[in-house]
Amino acid sequence: MKKPVFVSLSEAMADIPDGSRVALGGWIFNGQPMALVRALIRKGAKNLDLVPAPGSIAPDMLIGAGCARSTCCVFISFEQFGLAPHFRKQAEAGTLKVYDLDGPAIAGGLRAAICDLPYMPVPDLGTDLPRHAPEHYRELPTAPGERKLLAVTAIHPDVCLLHAQQADDLGNVQYLGTPFFDAMLAQASRKVIVSVDRIVSRETVRASNHLTKLPRSMVDMIVEAPFGAHPTSSPSLYRNDEAHLRAYVEASRTDEAFQAYLRHYVHPERHDAYLDAVGGSMLAGISH
Amino acid sequence: MPPEPTMAETMAILLARDMANGEKAIIGTNSDIQVAACNLARLMHAPDLWWISGPGGMVNPERDHLVSTADHGNIASAEAWMDLPNMIDFIDWKIHFFDFAILSALQVDQYGNINTVVVGDQTKPKLRGPGTVGISALCGLSRYFNVVMAHHSKAAFVPRVDFLCGPGHMEGGTSREDRGLPPGGPRLVISPLGVFDFEPGSRRMRIRSLHAGVEVQKVIDATGFELVVQGEPAVTPAVTPQEIELLRSRVDRAQALRKG
Repeated sequence: MKKPVFVSLSEAMADIPDGSRVALGGWIFNGQPMALVRALIRKGAKNLDLVPAPGSIAPDMLIGAGCARSTCCVFISFEQFGLAPHFRKQAEAGTLKVYDLDGPAIAGGLRAAICDLPYMPVPDLGTDLPRHAPEHYRELPTAPGERKLLAVTAIHPDVCLLHAQQADDLGNVQYLGTPFFDAMLAQASRKVIVSVDRIVSRETVRASNHLTKLPRSMVDMIVEAPFGAHPTSSPSLYRNDEAHLRAYVEASRTDEAFQAYLRHYVHPERHDAYLDAVGGSMLAGISH
Repeated sequence: MPPEPTMAETMAILLARDMANGEKAIIGTNSDIQVAACNLARLMHAPDLWWISGPGGMVNPERDHLVSTADHGNIASAEAWMDLPNMIDFIDWKIHFFDFAILSALQVDQYGNINTVVVGDQTKPKLRGPGTVGISALCGLSRYFNVVMAHHSKAAFVPRVDFLCGPGHMEGGTSREDRGLPPGGPRLVISPLGVFDFEPGSRRMRIRSLHAGVEVQKVIDATGFELVVQGEPAVTPAVTPQEIELLRSRVDRAQALRKG
Protein backbone atom coordinates (compact mmCIF):
# COMPACT_ATOMS: atom_id res chain seq x y z
CA MET A 1 0.00 0.00 0.00
CA LYS A 2 1.00 3.58 -0.50
CA LYS A 3 2.37 5.43 2.45
CA PRO A 4 1.88 9.06 3.21
CA VAL A 5 5.05 11.08 2.94
CA PHE A 6 5.95 13.75 5.47
CA VAL A 7 6.82 16.92 3.62
CA SER A 8 7.27 20.66 4.02
CA LEU A 9 4.53 23.12 3.05
CA SER A 10 6.24 24.04 -0.22
CA GLU A 11 6.89 20.40 -1.11
CA ALA A 12 3.22 19.64 -0.46
CA MET A 13 2.18 22.30 -2.99
CA ALA A 14 4.75 21.43 -5.66
CA ASP A 15 2.54 19.03 -7.63
CA ILE A 16 -0.65 21.06 -7.67
CA PRO A 17 -0.73 22.40 -11.22
CA ASP A 18 -2.57 25.56 -12.19
CA GLY A 19 -6.13 24.72 -13.18
CA SER A 20 -6.49 22.01 -10.52
CA ARG A 21 -9.77 21.27 -8.82
CA VAL A 22 -8.97 21.83 -5.15
CA ALA A 23 -11.23 20.76 -2.29
CA LEU A 24 -10.96 22.53 1.07
CA GLY A 25 -11.96 20.97 4.38
CA GLY A 26 -13.22 22.25 7.72
CA TRP A 27 -16.37 24.20 8.46
CA ILE A 28 -16.59 28.02 8.40
CA PHE A 29 -14.28 29.11 11.27
CA ASN A 30 -13.26 25.58 12.24
CA GLY A 31 -10.49 23.39 10.90
CA GLN A 32 -9.80 25.25 7.65
CA PRO A 33 -6.44 24.16 6.15
CA MET A 34 -4.93 27.63 6.39
CA ALA A 35 -1.20 26.82 6.43
CA LEU A 36 -1.73 24.85 3.21
CA VAL A 37 -3.82 27.65 1.71
CA ARG A 38 -1.12 30.21 2.47
CA ALA A 39 1.49 27.92 0.86
CA LEU A 40 -0.69 27.58 -2.24
CA ILE A 41 -0.93 31.37 -2.51
CA ARG A 42 2.87 31.70 -2.10
CA LYS A 43 3.33 29.22 -4.91
CA GLY A 44 1.36 31.60 -7.13
CA ALA A 45 -1.36 29.09 -8.05
CA LYS A 46 -3.71 30.22 -10.82
CA ASN A 47 -7.07 29.24 -12.30
CA LEU A 48 -8.01 26.88 -9.52
CA ASP A 49 -11.52 25.48 -9.38
CA LEU A 50 -12.41 25.39 -5.71
CA VAL A 51 -14.65 22.85 -4.01
CA PRO A 52 -14.89 24.15 -0.46
CA ALA A 53 -16.84 22.50 2.32
CA PRO A 54 -18.86 25.27 4.01
CA GLY A 55 -16.02 27.70 4.48
CA SER A 56 -14.79 31.15 5.33
CA ILE A 57 -11.25 32.45 5.04
CA ALA A 58 -9.76 29.44 3.17
CA PRO A 59 -11.76 29.90 -0.05
CA ASP A 60 -11.99 33.66 0.45
CA MET A 61 -8.23 34.19 0.70
CA LEU A 62 -7.51 32.04 -2.36
CA ILE A 63 -10.10 34.04 -4.28
CA GLY A 64 -8.75 37.37 -2.98
CA ALA A 65 -5.16 36.42 -3.89
CA GLY A 66 -6.22 35.74 -7.47
CA CYS A 67 -5.72 31.96 -7.38
CA ALA A 68 -9.25 30.86 -8.31
CA ARG A 69 -11.25 31.08 -11.53
CA SER A 70 -14.31 29.34 -10.12
CA THR A 71 -15.74 28.02 -6.93
CA CYS A 72 -18.52 25.73 -5.95
CA CYS A 73 -20.49 27.42 -3.22
CA VAL A 74 -22.39 25.43 -0.66
CA PHE A 75 -21.84 28.15 1.90
CA ILE A 76 -19.08 30.76 2.14
CA SER A 77 -19.60 33.16 5.02
CA PHE A 78 -17.91 35.25 7.67
CA GLU A 79 -20.86 34.77 10.01
CA GLN A 80 -20.88 37.46 12.72
CA PHE A 81 -18.33 39.48 10.72
CA GLY A 82 -20.55 39.64 7.63
CA LEU A 83 -20.26 38.28 4.13
CA ALA A 84 -17.00 36.77 2.83
CA PRO A 85 -15.29 39.89 1.46
CA HIS A 86 -13.37 38.67 -1.61
CA PHE A 87 -15.87 35.98 -2.57
CA ARG A 88 -18.52 38.67 -2.49
CA LYS A 89 -16.46 41.25 -4.37
CA GLN A 90 -15.47 38.93 -7.22
CA ALA A 91 -18.88 37.27 -7.51
CA GLU A 92 -20.56 40.68 -7.69
CA ALA A 93 -18.03 41.89 -10.27
CA GLY A 94 -18.74 38.79 -12.35
CA THR A 95 -15.03 37.84 -12.40
CA LEU A 96 -15.49 34.61 -10.42
CA LYS A 97 -17.63 31.80 -11.79
CA VAL A 98 -19.80 30.48 -8.96
CA TYR A 99 -21.53 27.11 -9.05
CA ASP A 100 -24.23 27.29 -6.42
CA LEU A 101 -24.77 23.84 -4.95
CA ASP A 102 -26.97 22.75 -2.10
CA GLY A 103 -26.09 20.13 0.50
CA PRO A 104 -27.56 17.26 -1.54
CA ALA A 105 -25.54 18.25 -4.64
CA ILE A 106 -22.20 18.37 -2.87
CA ALA A 107 -22.85 15.34 -0.67
CA GLY A 108 -24.37 13.36 -3.53
CA GLY A 109 -21.62 14.48 -5.91
CA LEU A 110 -18.86 13.43 -3.51
CA ARG A 111 -20.59 10.13 -2.78
CA ALA A 112 -20.91 9.42 -6.48
CA ALA A 113 -17.17 10.02 -6.83
CA ILE A 114 -16.43 7.79 -3.83
CA CYS A 115 -18.52 4.99 -5.39
CA ASP A 116 -17.14 5.46 -8.94
CA LEU A 117 -20.61 6.35 -10.15
CA PRO A 118 -21.38 9.12 -12.64
CA TYR A 119 -24.10 10.64 -10.47
CA MET A 120 -26.32 10.13 -7.48
CA PRO A 121 -30.08 10.59 -7.40
CA VAL A 122 -31.36 13.25 -5.02
CA PRO A 123 -34.89 14.55 -4.47
CA ASP A 124 -35.93 17.44 -6.70
CA LEU A 125 -36.70 20.14 -4.16
CA GLY A 126 -38.07 22.66 -6.62
CA THR A 127 -35.28 25.21 -6.29
CA ASP A 128 -33.64 27.48 -8.86
CA LEU A 129 -30.29 25.72 -8.36
CA PRO A 130 -30.45 23.31 -11.36
CA ARG A 131 -31.19 26.16 -13.76
CA HIS A 132 -28.02 28.00 -12.71
CA ALA A 133 -25.67 25.02 -12.45
CA PRO A 134 -26.75 22.57 -15.18
CA GLU A 135 -23.24 21.04 -15.01
CA HIS A 136 -24.14 19.69 -11.60
CA TYR A 137 -27.84 18.88 -11.82
CA ARG A 138 -29.98 17.15 -14.39
CA GLU A 139 -33.46 15.72 -14.35
CA LEU A 140 -33.87 12.00 -13.93
CA PRO A 141 -36.73 10.20 -15.58
CA THR A 142 -39.29 8.94 -13.07
CA ALA A 143 -42.42 6.85 -13.44
CA PRO A 144 -45.81 8.49 -12.86
CA GLY A 145 -46.52 8.78 -9.14
CA GLU A 146 -42.85 8.51 -8.21
CA ARG A 147 -41.04 11.28 -6.41
CA LYS A 148 -39.32 13.72 -8.77
CA LEU A 149 -35.57 13.18 -8.78
CA LEU A 150 -32.45 14.95 -9.95
CA ALA A 151 -29.08 13.44 -10.81
CA VAL A 152 -26.21 15.31 -9.19
CA THR A 153 -22.97 14.70 -11.05
CA ALA A 154 -19.89 13.18 -9.44
CA ILE A 155 -17.40 15.66 -7.98
CA HIS A 156 -13.79 14.46 -8.28
CA PRO A 157 -11.38 16.95 -6.74
CA ASP A 158 -7.81 16.57 -8.02
CA VAL A 159 -6.56 17.25 -4.54
CA CYS A 160 -8.04 18.04 -1.16
CA LEU A 161 -6.41 20.15 1.53
CA LEU A 162 -7.40 19.24 5.08
CA HIS A 163 -6.33 20.15 8.58
CA ALA A 164 -6.48 17.70 11.49
CA GLN A 165 -5.14 17.77 15.02
CA GLN A 166 -2.62 14.93 15.01
CA ALA A 167 -1.04 12.01 13.20
CA ASP A 168 1.44 9.32 14.08
CA ASP A 169 4.67 8.80 12.16
CA LEU A 170 2.94 6.18 9.99
CA GLY A 171 0.49 8.80 8.80
CA ASN A 172 -2.71 7.80 10.60
CA VAL A 173 -4.64 11.05 10.97
CA GLN A 174 -6.77 11.78 14.02
CA TYR A 175 -9.53 14.29 14.65
CA LEU A 176 -10.01 15.31 18.27
CA GLY A 177 -13.30 17.02 17.45
CA THR A 178 -15.87 16.94 14.69
CA PRO A 179 -14.32 16.00 11.33
CA PHE A 180 -17.05 17.82 9.37
CA PHE A 181 -16.88 16.78 5.66
CA ASP A 182 -13.14 15.97 5.71
CA ALA A 183 -13.31 12.17 5.40
CA MET A 184 -15.77 12.42 2.52
CA LEU A 185 -13.58 14.95 0.70
CA ALA A 186 -10.58 12.68 1.22
CA GLN A 187 -12.34 9.62 -0.18
CA ALA A 188 -13.56 11.52 -3.23
CA SER A 189 -10.24 13.22 -4.05
CA ARG A 190 -7.42 11.85 -6.18
CA LYS A 191 -4.81 13.20 -3.79
CA VAL A 192 -5.08 13.96 -0.09
CA ILE A 193 -2.84 16.49 1.67
CA VAL A 194 -3.29 16.98 5.41
CA SER A 195 -1.68 19.42 7.81
CA VAL A 196 -1.63 18.45 11.48
CA ASP A 197 -0.90 20.49 14.56
CA ARG A 198 1.36 17.78 15.96
CA ILE A 199 2.90 14.36 15.41
CA VAL A 200 2.22 11.90 18.22
CA SER A 201 3.41 8.39 19.01
CA ARG A 202 1.90 5.25 17.49
CA GLU A 203 0.88 4.23 21.03
CA THR A 204 -1.11 7.44 21.41
CA VAL A 205 -2.98 6.73 18.18
CA ARG A 206 -3.68 3.11 19.09
CA ALA A 207 -4.91 4.08 22.54
CA SER A 208 -7.66 6.23 20.96
CA ASN A 209 -7.97 4.62 17.56
CA HIS A 210 -11.65 5.59 17.21
CA LEU A 211 -10.32 9.10 16.56
CA THR A 212 -8.45 7.98 13.44
CA LYS A 213 -10.80 9.25 10.74
CA LEU A 214 -8.19 9.07 7.96
CA PRO A 215 -6.30 5.78 8.11
CA ARG A 216 -2.90 6.15 6.45
CA SER A 217 -3.93 4.38 3.23
CA MET A 218 -6.25 7.32 2.51
CA VAL A 219 -3.54 9.96 2.86
CA ASP A 220 -0.81 11.02 0.41
CA MET A 221 1.04 13.80 2.19
CA ILE A 222 1.25 15.10 5.72
CA VAL A 223 2.69 18.43 6.80
CA GLU A 224 3.39 19.14 10.45
CA ALA A 225 2.16 22.69 11.00
CA PRO A 226 1.42 23.74 14.59
CA PHE A 227 -1.55 26.14 14.64
CA GLY A 228 -1.95 25.25 10.97
CA ALA A 229 -5.67 26.07 11.04
CA HIS A 230 -5.09 29.57 12.46
CA PRO A 231 -7.03 31.92 12.36
CA THR A 232 -9.73 29.23 12.38
CA SER A 233 -10.03 26.78 15.24
CA SER A 234 -8.51 23.35 15.55
CA PRO A 235 -11.17 21.52 17.56
CA SER A 236 -10.01 20.77 21.13
CA LEU A 237 -6.61 22.47 20.68
CA TYR A 238 -7.37 26.13 20.01
CA ARG A 239 -10.30 28.45 19.32
CA ASN A 240 -10.70 30.64 16.28
CA ASP A 241 -8.91 33.99 16.49
CA GLU A 242 -11.73 36.50 16.26
CA ALA A 243 -9.43 39.52 16.37
CA HIS A 244 -7.45 38.18 13.41
CA LEU A 245 -10.59 37.32 11.43
CA ARG A 246 -11.90 40.82 12.04
CA ALA A 247 -8.56 42.31 10.98
CA TYR A 248 -8.70 40.21 7.79
CA VAL A 249 -12.14 41.56 6.94
CA GLU A 250 -10.88 45.08 7.65
CA ALA A 251 -7.78 44.53 5.48
CA SER A 252 -10.01 43.29 2.66
CA ARG A 253 -11.65 46.69 2.20
CA THR A 254 -8.95 48.01 -0.13
CA ASP A 255 -6.49 46.32 -2.50
CA GLU A 256 -3.61 48.13 -0.83
CA ALA A 257 -4.52 46.93 2.66
CA PHE A 258 -5.08 43.39 1.41
CA GLN A 259 -1.70 43.29 -0.34
CA ALA A 260 -0.13 44.48 2.91
CA TYR A 261 -1.95 41.69 4.76
CA LEU A 262 -0.64 39.11 2.28
CA ARG A 263 2.91 40.49 2.55
CA HIS A 264 2.80 40.38 6.32
CA TYR A 265 1.07 37.04 6.93
CA VAL A 266 1.21 34.95 3.77
CA HIS A 267 4.42 35.66 1.92
CA PRO A 268 6.97 34.82 4.61
CA GLU A 269 8.11 31.40 3.40
CA ARG A 270 8.37 29.66 6.76
CA HIS A 271 5.41 28.64 8.89
CA ASP A 272 7.21 29.71 12.07
CA ALA A 273 7.52 33.22 10.60
CA TYR A 274 3.72 33.24 10.31
CA LEU A 275 3.40 32.22 13.95
CA ASP A 276 5.82 34.99 14.95
CA ALA A 277 3.76 37.49 12.95
CA VAL A 278 0.61 36.41 14.78
CA GLY A 279 2.42 36.51 18.11
CA GLY A 280 2.91 34.15 21.01
CA SER A 281 0.52 35.86 23.40
CA MET A 282 -2.25 35.71 20.78
CA LEU A 283 -1.68 31.99 20.22
CA ALA A 284 -1.53 31.32 23.95
CA GLY A 285 -4.75 33.26 24.37
CA ILE A 286 -6.74 31.05 21.99
CA SER A 287 -5.30 27.74 23.20
CA HIS A 288 -7.55 25.36 25.11
CA MET B 1 -38.26 44.15 36.27
CA PRO B 2 -35.08 43.33 34.28
CA PRO B 3 -33.92 45.67 31.50
CA GLU B 4 -35.94 45.68 28.28
CA PRO B 5 -35.27 42.70 26.00
CA THR B 6 -33.33 43.30 22.80
CA MET B 7 -34.86 42.27 19.47
CA ALA B 8 -32.62 39.17 19.42
CA GLU B 9 -33.83 38.15 22.87
CA THR B 10 -37.44 38.75 21.89
CA MET B 11 -37.06 36.62 18.76
CA ALA B 12 -35.49 33.77 20.74
CA ILE B 13 -38.39 33.85 23.19
CA LEU B 14 -41.06 33.99 20.45
CA LEU B 15 -39.45 31.01 18.70
CA ALA B 16 -39.15 29.07 21.95
CA ARG B 17 -42.86 29.53 22.68
CA ASP B 18 -43.71 27.95 19.33
CA MET B 19 -41.75 24.74 19.98
CA ALA B 20 -43.62 21.67 21.20
CA ASN B 21 -42.34 19.04 23.58
CA GLY B 22 -40.93 16.00 21.79
CA GLU B 23 -40.18 17.75 18.50
CA LYS B 24 -36.90 17.13 16.66
CA ALA B 25 -35.13 20.20 15.35
CA ILE B 26 -31.99 21.06 13.43
CA ILE B 27 -30.07 24.28 13.88
CA GLY B 28 -27.67 25.60 11.27
CA THR B 29 -24.58 27.72 11.36
CA ASN B 30 -24.45 31.29 12.82
CA SER B 31 -27.56 30.60 14.89
CA ASP B 32 -27.32 32.19 18.33
CA ILE B 33 -31.01 33.10 18.34
CA GLN B 34 -32.08 29.61 17.27
CA VAL B 35 -29.83 27.84 19.77
CA ALA B 36 -31.09 30.09 22.56
CA ALA B 37 -34.69 29.36 21.54
CA CYS B 38 -34.18 25.58 21.66
CA ASN B 39 -32.42 25.59 25.01
CA LEU B 40 -34.99 28.00 26.46
CA ALA B 41 -37.89 25.84 25.25
CA ARG B 42 -36.24 22.82 26.88
CA LEU B 43 -36.14 24.72 30.19
CA MET B 44 -39.69 26.02 29.89
CA HIS B 45 -42.30 23.68 28.43
CA ALA B 46 -40.44 21.28 26.11
CA PRO B 47 -37.91 19.23 28.12
CA ASP B 48 -37.99 16.52 25.45
CA LEU B 49 -37.29 18.82 22.53
CA TRP B 50 -34.41 17.13 20.66
CA TRP B 51 -32.13 19.37 18.68
CA ILE B 52 -29.00 18.75 16.72
CA SER B 53 -26.27 21.06 15.51
CA GLY B 54 -26.21 20.87 11.71
CA PRO B 55 -22.46 21.42 11.25
CA GLY B 56 -21.15 19.65 14.34
CA GLY B 57 -23.72 16.90 14.87
CA MET B 58 -23.98 17.46 18.64
CA VAL B 59 -27.32 16.47 20.19
CA ASN B 60 -28.84 18.68 22.89
CA PRO B 61 -25.69 20.51 23.94
CA GLU B 62 -26.66 22.28 27.15
CA ARG B 63 -24.63 25.19 28.30
CA ASP B 64 -25.49 28.36 30.16
CA HIS B 65 -24.00 30.47 27.38
CA LEU B 66 -24.18 30.44 23.60
CA VAL B 67 -21.42 28.94 21.48
CA SER B 68 -21.42 28.54 17.71
CA THR B 69 -23.11 25.33 16.53
CA ALA B 70 -19.89 24.13 14.89
CA ASP B 71 -17.76 24.77 17.98
CA HIS B 72 -15.90 21.97 19.72
CA GLY B 73 -17.14 23.46 23.02
CA ASN B 74 -20.55 21.88 22.40
CA ILE B 75 -19.27 18.33 22.45
CA ALA B 76 -18.62 18.04 26.16
CA SER B 77 -22.20 18.97 27.06
CA ALA B 78 -23.95 16.97 24.31
CA GLU B 79 -25.68 13.63 24.84
CA ALA B 80 -24.40 12.34 21.48
CA TRP B 81 -22.60 13.54 18.41
CA MET B 82 -22.61 12.32 14.85
CA ASP B 83 -20.32 12.66 11.88
CA LEU B 84 -21.61 15.07 9.27
CA PRO B 85 -21.89 12.50 6.42
CA ASN B 86 -24.35 10.52 8.59
CA MET B 87 -26.14 13.64 9.70
CA ILE B 88 -26.85 14.80 6.20
CA ASP B 89 -28.76 11.64 5.42
CA PHE B 90 -31.36 12.89 7.87
CA ILE B 91 -31.33 16.33 6.27
CA ASP B 92 -31.03 15.51 2.61
CA TRP B 93 -33.04 12.39 2.04
CA LYS B 94 -35.38 11.52 4.88
CA ILE B 95 -38.83 13.08 4.69
CA HIS B 96 -39.97 14.56 7.96
CA PHE B 97 -37.22 13.19 10.17
CA PHE B 98 -36.99 16.74 11.43
CA ASP B 99 -40.10 18.42 12.73
CA PHE B 100 -38.70 21.84 12.06
CA ALA B 101 -35.77 24.01 11.09
CA ILE B 102 -35.35 27.74 11.72
CA LEU B 103 -33.75 29.68 8.90
CA SER B 104 -32.67 33.22 8.14
CA ALA B 105 -32.70 34.70 4.66
CA LEU B 106 -31.75 37.66 2.46
CA GLN B 107 -35.25 37.60 0.99
CA VAL B 108 -38.57 35.96 1.78
CA ASP B 109 -41.55 36.20 -0.56
CA GLN B 110 -45.33 36.24 -0.20
CA TYR B 111 -45.46 32.41 -0.28
CA GLY B 112 -42.61 31.92 2.17
CA ASN B 113 -39.99 30.88 -0.37
CA ILE B 114 -36.57 31.97 0.80
CA ASN B 115 -33.31 33.14 -0.74
CA THR B 116 -29.83 33.09 0.78
CA VAL B 117 -27.93 33.01 -2.52
CA VAL B 118 -28.03 36.31 -4.44
CA VAL B 119 -29.99 39.50 -4.81
CA GLY B 120 -30.20 40.20 -8.54
CA ASP B 121 -28.71 38.03 -11.28
CA GLN B 122 -26.71 34.96 -10.20
CA THR B 123 -23.91 35.66 -12.70
CA LYS B 124 -23.45 39.29 -11.63
CA PRO B 125 -25.41 39.81 -8.45
CA LYS B 126 -26.19 43.08 -6.71
CA LEU B 127 -25.55 41.25 -3.45
CA ARG B 128 -23.78 37.93 -3.17
CA GLY B 129 -25.07 35.94 -0.20
CA PRO B 130 -23.47 32.98 1.55
CA GLY B 131 -25.24 30.15 -0.32
CA THR B 132 -27.69 27.34 0.21
CA VAL B 133 -26.09 24.54 2.26
CA GLY B 134 -28.90 22.51 3.94
CA ILE B 135 -31.64 25.06 3.32
CA SER B 136 -33.16 23.43 0.22
CA ALA B 137 -33.54 20.07 1.93
CA LEU B 138 -34.71 21.50 5.25
CA CYS B 139 -37.38 23.67 3.61
CA GLY B 140 -38.35 20.81 1.33
CA LEU B 141 -38.33 17.87 3.69
CA SER B 142 -38.80 18.88 7.34
CA ARG B 143 -42.37 18.92 8.66
CA TYR B 144 -42.32 22.72 8.72
CA PHE B 145 -39.89 25.60 9.01
CA ASN B 146 -39.81 29.03 10.59
CA VAL B 147 -38.03 32.05 9.15
CA VAL B 148 -36.24 34.73 11.16
CA MET B 149 -35.71 37.99 9.31
CA ALA B 150 -33.22 40.48 10.76
CA HIS B 151 -34.78 43.35 8.78
CA HIS B 152 -38.29 44.12 7.62
CA SER B 153 -38.13 46.13 4.40
CA LYS B 154 -39.32 46.03 0.80
CA ALA B 155 -35.87 44.74 -0.15
CA ALA B 156 -36.25 41.73 2.16
CA PHE B 157 -40.01 41.04 1.85
CA VAL B 158 -40.39 40.69 -1.92
CA PRO B 159 -43.18 39.45 -4.21
CA ARG B 160 -40.90 36.72 -5.57
CA VAL B 161 -37.41 35.80 -4.36
CA ASP B 162 -34.63 36.48 -6.87
CA PHE B 163 -33.21 32.99 -6.32
CA LEU B 164 -35.40 30.30 -4.79
CA CYS B 165 -33.15 28.06 -2.70
CA GLY B 166 -35.62 27.16 0.04
CA PRO B 167 -39.03 26.05 -1.20
CA GLY B 168 -41.95 27.48 0.74
CA HIS B 169 -45.48 27.39 -0.65
CA MET B 170 -43.95 27.89 -4.13
CA GLU B 171 -46.63 29.73 -6.17
CA GLY B 172 -49.25 29.42 -3.43
CA GLY B 173 -52.35 27.24 -3.18
CA THR B 174 -51.49 23.57 -3.69
CA SER B 175 -48.48 24.31 -5.91
CA ARG B 176 -46.00 22.93 -3.36
CA GLU B 177 -47.70 19.55 -3.23
CA ASP B 178 -48.37 19.64 -6.99
CA ARG B 179 -44.62 20.06 -7.50
CA GLY B 180 -44.13 16.74 -5.67
CA LEU B 181 -42.88 18.12 -2.37
CA PRO B 182 -44.17 16.72 0.90
CA PRO B 183 -46.69 18.99 2.63
CA GLY B 184 -45.42 21.40 5.24
CA GLY B 185 -43.41 24.43 4.33
CA PRO B 186 -43.14 27.71 6.19
CA ARG B 187 -45.18 28.18 9.35
CA LEU B 188 -44.05 31.44 10.91
CA VAL B 189 -41.99 34.38 9.75
CA ILE B 190 -40.69 36.53 12.58
CA SER B 191 -39.38 40.03 11.85
CA PRO B 192 -38.57 43.07 13.98
CA LEU B 193 -42.12 44.29 13.27
CA GLY B 194 -44.24 41.24 13.89
CA VAL B 195 -45.12 37.58 13.48
CA PHE B 196 -46.55 36.33 10.20
CA ASP B 197 -48.14 33.06 9.07
CA PHE B 198 -49.80 31.82 5.90
CA GLU B 199 -53.50 31.95 5.04
CA PRO B 200 -54.86 28.43 4.52
CA GLY B 201 -55.97 28.03 0.93
CA SER B 202 -54.08 30.82 -0.82
CA ARG B 203 -50.95 30.21 1.33
CA ARG B 204 -50.20 33.94 1.15
CA MET B 205 -48.35 35.55 4.03
CA ARG B 206 -50.63 37.19 6.58
CA ILE B 207 -50.17 39.20 9.72
CA ARG B 208 -50.55 37.03 12.81
CA SER B 209 -49.50 39.64 15.34
CA LEU B 210 -47.62 42.92 15.46
CA HIS B 211 -45.08 43.75 18.11
CA ALA B 212 -46.23 46.31 20.68
CA GLY B 213 -46.32 49.82 19.25
CA VAL B 214 -46.14 48.75 15.58
CA GLU B 215 -48.93 50.16 13.37
CA VAL B 216 -50.43 48.08 10.55
CA GLN B 217 -49.61 50.81 8.03
CA LYS B 218 -45.93 50.70 8.99
CA VAL B 219 -45.77 46.98 8.14
CA ILE B 220 -47.69 47.41 4.91
CA ASP B 221 -45.30 50.20 3.88
CA ALA B 222 -42.25 48.03 4.66
CA THR B 223 -43.49 44.99 2.73
CA GLY B 224 -43.02 44.56 -1.03
CA PHE B 225 -46.26 42.60 -1.56
CA GLU B 226 -49.81 42.65 -0.32
CA LEU B 227 -50.03 41.05 3.11
CA VAL B 228 -53.23 39.31 4.14
CA VAL B 229 -54.72 41.41 6.93
CA GLN B 230 -57.71 39.91 8.72
CA GLY B 231 -59.40 42.37 11.04
CA GLU B 232 -57.40 44.30 13.61
CA PRO B 233 -54.12 42.34 14.08
CA ALA B 234 -53.32 41.07 17.56
CA VAL B 235 -50.41 42.46 19.54
CA THR B 236 -47.57 39.95 20.00
CA PRO B 237 -47.86 38.75 23.62
CA ALA B 238 -45.18 40.56 25.60
CA VAL B 239 -42.05 38.84 26.79
CA THR B 240 -42.55 37.98 30.47
CA PRO B 241 -40.04 38.74 33.25
CA GLN B 242 -39.80 34.97 33.88
CA GLU B 243 -38.86 34.28 30.26
CA ILE B 244 -36.22 36.99 30.14
CA GLU B 245 -34.80 35.97 33.51
CA LEU B 246 -34.53 32.32 32.42
CA LEU B 247 -32.94 33.30 29.11
CA ARG B 248 -30.34 35.52 30.73
CA SER B 249 -29.47 33.30 33.69
CA ARG B 250 -29.57 29.82 32.18
CA VAL B 251 -29.14 30.10 28.40
CA ASP B 252 -27.23 33.26 27.52
CA ARG B 253 -25.13 34.17 30.53
CA ALA B 254 -22.46 35.74 28.31
CA GLN B 255 -25.16 38.11 26.96
CA ALA B 256 -24.56 37.37 23.28
CA LEU B 257 -28.17 38.31 22.46
CA ARG B 258 -27.99 41.56 24.40
CA LYS B 259 -25.26 42.84 22.11
CA GLY B 260 -27.32 42.14 18.99
